[in-house]
Amino acid sequence: MSESVKIVENKPIPSDATMLIGLPDVGLVGLIATSYLITELNLEEIAYMDSDLLPPVVVLHDGLPHAPLRIYGNKNLIAVISELAVPAPAVYTVMRELVDWAQIKKIKTILSMGGIPVENRQSIKEPEVFAAASNQELLNTLTKNGLKTMKEGYIVGPQALSMRYSLNKKMQAVAILAQSFYNYPDPQAAAMVLKELSKISDIKVDVSKLLEKGEEIRLKARDMMKRTQQEMNRMQKTQEYDLPLYV
Amino acid sequence: MSDKRKTLSSFDEMEKYIEEIEALANELVASAFPEGPSWNTETCCLHALSNVFITPREVIVTADLPNIEPETVKVEAVDENLIEITAKMKKKVRFADLGVCHRQGEFSFLRCKGRINVAIDAENMTISCEEGILEVRFPRKKMHKIE
Repeated sequence: MSESVKIVENKPIPSDATMLIGLPDVGLVGLIATSYLITELNLEEIAYMDSDLLPPVVVLHDGLPHAPLRIYGNKNLIAVISELAVPAPAVYTVMRELVDWAQIKKIKTILSMGGIPVENRQSIKEPEVFAAASNQELLNTLTKNGLKTMKEGYIVGPQALSMRYSLNKKMQAVAILAQSFYNYPDPQAAAMVLKELSKISDIKVDVSKLLEKGEEIRLKARDMMKRTQQEMNRMQKTQEYDLPLYV
Repeated sequence: MSDKRKTLSSFDEMEKYIEEIEALANELVASAFPEGPSWNTETCCLHALSNVFITPREVIVTADLPNIEPETVKVEAVDENLIEITAKMKKKVRFADLGVCHRQGEFSFLRCKGRINVAIDAENMTISCEEGILEVRFPRKKMHKIE
């Protein structure tokens, strides 16, 4: 555990649960999807992250202060969201702490949701979703359940680190990524990710409300998107457009 | 000079320096001019997110304009290097609609400005707007050929 960051638990933490990570990233896809799940499944706040590496920010909801990076859950599901763009230099420590904590809490699978930036997103009616997994067995399970896999390419940012640290610890990790706008909030991509999530888990939600609220979410998410973009630039996120070379 | 540098062509090196200078300049500008809010209650405008892409033949400006009436989109060249996009929203949005009750004000428009550092032919621009994503294409002005 790092000294500069700690997870403070408010409620008992379920073990053998699935942990969803939806930190601000490309198109805010993971954050939108995870926030929607938290509301729809009525998950309660069970922990939060405290760190000097994060900006001195508190978020008020119904007049009460909350840490921006919070953990919600029920008996078999844990969901991590952040209402602030995680500063690029802090992302290593934050992700390492989350994966360490997940191991201590005997989390079965770490599942991060997000977007893959595509340049022609406005001409795509229904974004495609691709998955990646930390081991071959898991990858086979994803394919068997009808998910397309991202065979070659780069993942940059929180999803990359959750995959990397999970691999180090031999934990199961999956990334589900939808084609999305790079720096415009993309609720439709978030809905597509949730649809694919339902194929590989018991987490099933109706995404029609999310799609209906799409325009409202896009208006509300402008500031978060702007700040997230600044951090994505610092993380060299545009490397996700690059073609990998492995001969 | 390191071995790594020796392997780069002078064009690569130049490109690398330019990228470094650009990143530094962006950081300096960001620290020197802290951003204001993404709204303006006096003009009743919410600031829209936008992008500018410069290709060899055209300049493409896109903007995220949710909740707008597409027929009200206006694209104006403020000066040679600056364009402004404005669109009226389908319905007014108040701070309370965005979950904020400690501020007052309502917004009827989405607006954004895009700085373009190459010469464009604003008279021949084409505009399309689908699902609230605006795309404006400006042909680049032809420059003189060096004979």
